[in-house]
Amino acid sequence: MRRLAAPAAFLAVGLGLLVPAAATLPAFYESFLYLVLHWVALATSWSILSGFSGYFSFGHGAFFGAGMYATAMLATGGLPFLPTLPLAGLAAAAFGVAMGAVVFRVPRLRGELFALLTLAVTFVLATVVLNTRIDGGPGVYLSAVPLPRLGGSATGTLYVLGLAVALLTVATAYAVYHARWGAGLFAIHDDEDVAEVLGVPTYRYKLLALGLSSGLAGVAGGIHAMFVTYVTVAETFSIVVPLYVILMSVVGGARHWLGPALGAVLVTVLMYGVTGGQTAVAGRAVVGLTLMLVILFLPEGITGFMVRRRSNRPGAPAPRPVSPRPAVAQRRPSDTGGPPLLVCSDVRKAFRGIQALRGVSLEVREGEILGLVGPNGSGKSTLINVVSGHHRADGGRVLVGGMDVTGRDAHEIARLGVARTYQIPRPFAHLTLRENVAVAGMFGRLGHRRRTAEREAGRWLEFAGLADRADQLPAALNLHQRKFLELARALASEPRLVMLDEVLSGLTPSEMTDATRLVRDIRDRGATVVFVEHIMRAVMELADRVVVLDVGELVTSGAPQDVMRNPDVVRRYLGTAHA
Amino acid sequence: MPSFTLLAQSVLSGIFVGGLYGLLGLGLSLSWGLLRLINLAHFALAFLGAYLTYTLSTAFELDPFWCLALVPPAFFGIGVLSQLVFVRFRVTQFGSLLVTFGLTVMIESLIQWIWTADYRRLETVYGTASWRVGPLFVPVAELLALLTAAALAGLTWAWLRYTWVGKGLRACAEDPHIAAAFGVNHRRLALVLSGLSAAFAGVAGAFVALIYTLAPAQIYAWIGVVFAAVILGGLGNPLGPLVAGVVIGVSEALTMALTAPAWAPLVSFTLLILVLLLRPGRV
Amino acid sequence: MLEVEGLQVAYGDATALWDVSLHVGEGELVSVVGPNGSGKTTLINTIAGLLQARAGRLRFRGGDLTRVAPHQVASRGIAIVPEGRRLFTGMTVEENLELGCYTPGLRAGRAARLERVYGTFPVLRARRRQAAGTLSGGEQQMVALGRALMAGPRLLLLDEPSLGLAPAVVEHVFDVVEALHREGVAVLLVEQNVRKALAVASRAYVLAEGRVVSSGTPALLLAEPQIRSVYLGDPGG
Repeated sequence: MRRLAAPAAFLAVGLGLLVPAAATLPAFYESFLYLVLHWVALATSWSILSGFSGYFSFGHGAFFGAGMYATAMLATGGLPFLPTLPLAGLAAAAFGVAMGAVVFRVPRLRGELFALLTLAVTFVLATVVLNTRIDGGPGVYLSAVPLPRLGGSATGTLYVLGLAVALLTVATAYAVYHARWGAGLFAIHDDEDVAEVLGVPTYRYKLLALGLSSGLAGVAGGIHAMFVTYVTVAETFSIVVPLYVILMSVVGGARHWLGPALGAVLVTVLMYGVTGGQTAVAGRAVVGLTLMLVILFLPEGITGFMVRRRSNRPGAPAPRPVSPRPAVAQRRPSDTGGPPLLVCSDVRKAFRGIQALRGVSLEVREGEILGLVGPNGSGKSTLINVVSGHHRADGGRVLVGGMDVTGRDAHEIARLGVARTYQIPRPFAHLTLRENVAVAGMFGRLGHRRRTAEREAGRWLEFAGLADRADQLPAALNLHQRKFLELARALASEPRLVMLDEVLSGLTPSEMTDATRLVRDIRDRGATVVFVEHIMRAVMELADRVVVLDVGELVTSGAPQDVMRNPDVVRRYLGTAHA
Repeated sequence: MPSFTLLAQSVLSGIFVGGLYGLLGLGLSLSWGLLRLINLAHFALAFLGAYLTYTLSTAFELDPFWCLALVPPAFFGIGVLSQLVFVRFRVTQFGSLLVTFGLTVMIESLIQWIWTADYRRLETVYGTASWRVGPLFVPVAELLALLTAAALAGLTWAWLRYTWVGKGLRACAEDPHIAAAFGVNHRRLALVLSGLSAAFAGVAGAFVALIYTLAPAQIYAWIGVVFAAVILGGLGNPLGPLVAGVVIGVSEALTMALTAPAWAPLVSFTLLILVLLLRPGRV
Repeated sequence: MLEVEGLQVAYGDATALWDVSLHVGEGELVSVVGPNGSGKTTLINTIAGLLQARAGRLRFRGGDLTRVAPHQVASRGIAIVPEGRRLFTGMTVEENLELGCYTPGLRAGRAARLERVYGTFPVLRARRRQAAGTLSGGEQQMVALGRALMAGPRLLLLDEPSLGLAPAVVEHVFDVVEALHREGVAVLLVEQNVRKALAVASRAYVLAEGRVVSSGTPALLLAEPQIRSVYLGDPGG
């Protein structure tokens, strides 16, 4: 039912908004309504990249401007106006994708640095346009370009076009918001590294979002060129476009498909409607003040505020996890001497000259529970990071199920069936528990459709004892529950190899008992487990085999009892009186 | 090919413009590097200072250099206040960019409301005076701006380098918790630095009023290039914006002399983009 | 001199210390041992004012430390050599040392203390104008120790001073600590090298999973199976 409700609503709103065009309102109102729709399209298209994936762009003016000048050039060059619009969108999208292809390859270029970079790109584009034949300095007049009649008048036509692009943009945002790759974008927003490790192809998704975002802005720009009829560099590439777009999205809530549209309507009405147009100064001051107050008091915008209120309604008190009930048919491994699932040979990794792994070779057999132990800084976490593809090894090879994965992207390794948890849980903070877990189902080995993944996620939350909190945000959980959420998320892709990084630390003894039972259950379902742990009691109890690392080297491996009696291991753990 | 004299005059004017970039960038760099706050409103504040200087000089017939004794101390108070707000609301580095964006628009509106959007030109003896050195002209006001920029940058550098407060601030920027464990009161030092940064905006504003024709929209014209100077110069390094500013100013001036004036912005923004792409970790 | 009573510390809702009580007498050298993640660093950082206690009391020389602002702990006579050294890497060696006596009451003694630190670690005098981040691990540990000494502490908090250092450097660092101890400075030592930590201490506490599981003289603790159990999962038993 919900599936059909949304398109129906779009159709209704669209038809409803056509009335003003048919009713031949005074041109002033049509222009005003056009401007509202214009900002709805711009703000919503901005949020497809920036709101959803968190890459805040100050460069939306560049894409908007690219579209504006594309139409200006083509239409004054003799092409009819309407066909220039898709071309304007294509030009802007091409520009966006070209920029993204370079920028998204640079790690750490996020947040304020990405914002500044996009602003700089805008100014560079403006300078180029100004100094080449695209503009040449004086600006481009479109007054001679014939405008096809779609509404009653010229402004009516522009209103209809504005309506079309606004609806197209909001519908696109709606579709992305509810699609699989929308979920990927939201995961990128909260924690890009974790998203990649869960199997989200982050680079491709960001590029796609940027292309869509800039393309839609380009179409809006093409229409706007006709609306202003006189296109200049100073107006087109001014700071006003990114400023207002960000303001509108932030006020409405940039993470929601409808938020930017809501914000656009509010701000535009505030600016032109309430202040009557002639006191533009006061309008701008109100805009500035609103932005400040919203960031200070309502950092997630109106829709964000409402979503949060809904999910934070007081629920039942935190229950103890029920004893994990196997929900999947158990696949008992034949024995722990199966074929090797993970093979590391001579893996090396250095950070700024410090050798974290100095040639580690080990095998993990299908169906076993392997304990990975060692003193501080011995390289255990680095090994997990290398196997999962988060870090690239400097040397050596890593094979998963016989496939060489050395140097592969983390999301490709995830798709082979490798999952991990983090010592300090890293849930996606703005996604509900169900959505958190569903990300793994969608992008891991299984590649479920979104709805299947969300249904399956419910089962995994039940397995981890979190079923009654499925629609809450991770902030509502305590540490122990967050660790179980990590587990549920790692398991939801039904991985062949699960690497657990200190799942037990920080838990109370009774919580620890639950957790150890859960780890056994995981193996009983047929997964192979590698776990890093400092609480030796648990290692002795759980592990089939133990591998000891120290200063980046493998010290020894074998049955837990034997290994921990090894005098070399004892010395490494307890040290000597004479260092 | 332009004559040698023209090129030399271009380089000279580039150095002077660079001095102003450095002056505007100083406070920005300090609060970004040492307080991790990106204060976009720094530019609006500078222009507010410029307009105040304009009014004090024309309406009250005060010598513009007397304004330097009035405006920056008042701005110090604004800086302290804004820091209190940032701390109260726990504004993040990215949040500060948005909040001060809003503040910029408000100050711009305030300026437009009081002084209108018309161009304003402060006519003083300093504005037009220039010395002749051989074939070159040295405008007095711009020379003074450069000297002031150098003096403030040098003094701030020494202050950070040789005083207890300065060392404490630098320590806080690296590890506020350990600095606190050794007795550094970060909150108080941050107030001082934020005040100082705003006061520097006031100083820069006075020189903007002396040298340029004022219009509210001009606020935005400086943002890109000064950010480029701040990032190229290294955040928190008081000498950085001046040095990088002069480099950018001279490259711009040469670009203008050799191609068309309108190509000049390409230099600074291309530099900024390259730094962000090649050394994002340094920022 | 230092009394810790029923200390509970949490990061958000992750409790790192549960009801920890211990004391350090005037001029005493006390060790805290325990495996990774047992809460040793949390304990040290809470005493130094880097973390706030959720419950419990900290008393130092008769005064309550629990509600003292972080930047005022130093003036009470407590100095820390934190885990991982945490130097101000962009500042020079000498500036790092000077920050040790940032507290206004200590600044007057700057020159004399600086001489002492350079006397103890001559290599630092040669490197005084060098950025601390460019030093070797051992030299950095000396700077961290020197910075704490500049505060002229009555209680020195040492967190993993031997981590990642060559044996000779570790010996040197421990020699300095023992010399300080002989001068009457109390030391609370957290150390991964259990045997070393027990060899120099007069008393020790064993932490595991955020709780004190054992305490007493080094000889007593070494004989107990408890230590082997928390570190090695008690393969003997």
